Amino acid sequence: MEQLIEELKQEIINALNLEDMTPADIDENAPLFGEGLSLDSIDALELIVLMDKKYGIKLKTAAEGKEIFKSVKVMAEYINEHRTK
Amino acid sequence: MSVYIQSASHISIQEPLSEKWFTEPQIPEENFNLSIEPDYKQFIAPIEARRMGKLLKRAVTTSADALRKGGCEMPDAIITGTGLGCIENTEKFLNAMLDNDEECMPPTAFMQSTHNTISSQVALTLKCHGYNCTYSQQGFSFDSALLDAFMQFQLGRIGTALVEGHDEMSPDYYRMLGKIGYWKKEAANTEILREGCGVGSISGSSSVAILLSNKLNNNTLCEIKNIITLHCPDNSEIKTALENLLSESGITMNDIDAIVTGLSGDEANDAVYKEVAANCFNGKPLVWYKHIFGESFCASAFGIYIGATIISKGFIPEHLLYKSEKEIKNVSNILIYNHFQNKNHSLTLLQTVKG
Repeated sequence: MEQLIEELKQEIINALNLEDMTPADIDENAPLFGEGLSLDSIDALELIVLMDKKYGIKLKTAAEGKEIFKSVKVMAEYINEHRTK
Repeated sequence: MSVYIQSASHISIQEPLSEKWFTEPQIPEENFNLSIEPDYKQFIAPIEARRMGKLLKRAVTTSADALRKGGCEMPDAIITGTGLGCIENTEKFLNAMLDNDEECMPPTAFMQSTHNTISSQVALTLKCHGYNCTYSQQGFSFDSALLDAFMQFQLGRIGTALVEGHDEMSPDYYRMLGKIGYWKKEAANTEILREGCGVGSISGSSSVAILLSNKLNNNTLCEIKNIITLHCPDNSEIKTALENLLSESGITMNDIDAIVTGLSGDEANDAVYKEVAANCFNGKPLVWYKHIFGESFCASAFGIYIGATIISKGFIPEHLLYKSEKEIKNVSNILIYNHFQNKNHSLTLLQTVKG
């Protein structure tokens, strides 16, 4: 799981073009939206694309994303259970 | 209503946000030339920059720099010319569409893939709610934007305007344009371009922001006296248009110090300039700039920028003169003549504001 969390942090940095950040700057338990990384709705779309492209997970509803994108750790746990790639 | 050029800023294949090109230009050694990027962090917060492609960063930065130099916080209008728009993001989006079998598209590249994203991004950054318009007519885009701004001033609708020209050259688009003869086949230096034989020129990348105002200040570079655009004119129509432009401005061809042209080294392109010069310009010195800034769809923005810089400094350095003449001093009136594929032509008269 630790390895997946580190990989996911780097994928998020690349997908969202967080140029000045390193994986170490991202707290895996911090909220991704509102506070923490302060991501917005366009970032949410980018994360949905990332989940599909990298891990083969298709999210069906916005509500589903709201739960899954709570933090990097929650995302990693979901990916671990549902990944098809 | 007088229209003045207050300031200008560029990011190009010359040193960015600088006038070093005027005295110490970098001579391109390759035919494919990329912009020299400044430190964008001085102008754009990282959290905002992360969703901007290079062209948007250049647009926001040159706009901020031109506004700062011109002492203006908020322009009444932002009018942009771009031939290709954000071509790198357009390609990124289209490639992603192919890679993902038209499913699951990344939104950021899509948002940036329209031509009017550039003018919109500048407005969003400045929080400017004024007139915002984008012109996209290939190599006549900037000329159209400038004419629109000039007419808005004449109508009294605006008192300040940012007029911009932005185009980037991606490796893929460079390759495609090369197939239809846009670029020299072999590495071309200034002398080869000056000969003007064969097809093609060298590529550049243009990001120019020019601040216009109806009020003079201590930094004003020059006045735009008049602009005329023509579609598919013959030589006599160009001559008549030029005579009208000069007489409306109260001067004659004898008062013109030099003509800024888009001579590029491409034989067909240059033949039009040479023919019009022979028929209309009475042997006046020709200035060129594409040998140092390269060719791009918004290269004509450099024509205005260079004309304004020459007038504000009062002289034309030797390297800008097409026929290797000596430096010309005491410059007061500059005519800028641009054509795109001998279809669209523009004549712009710039005049000094110094007594």
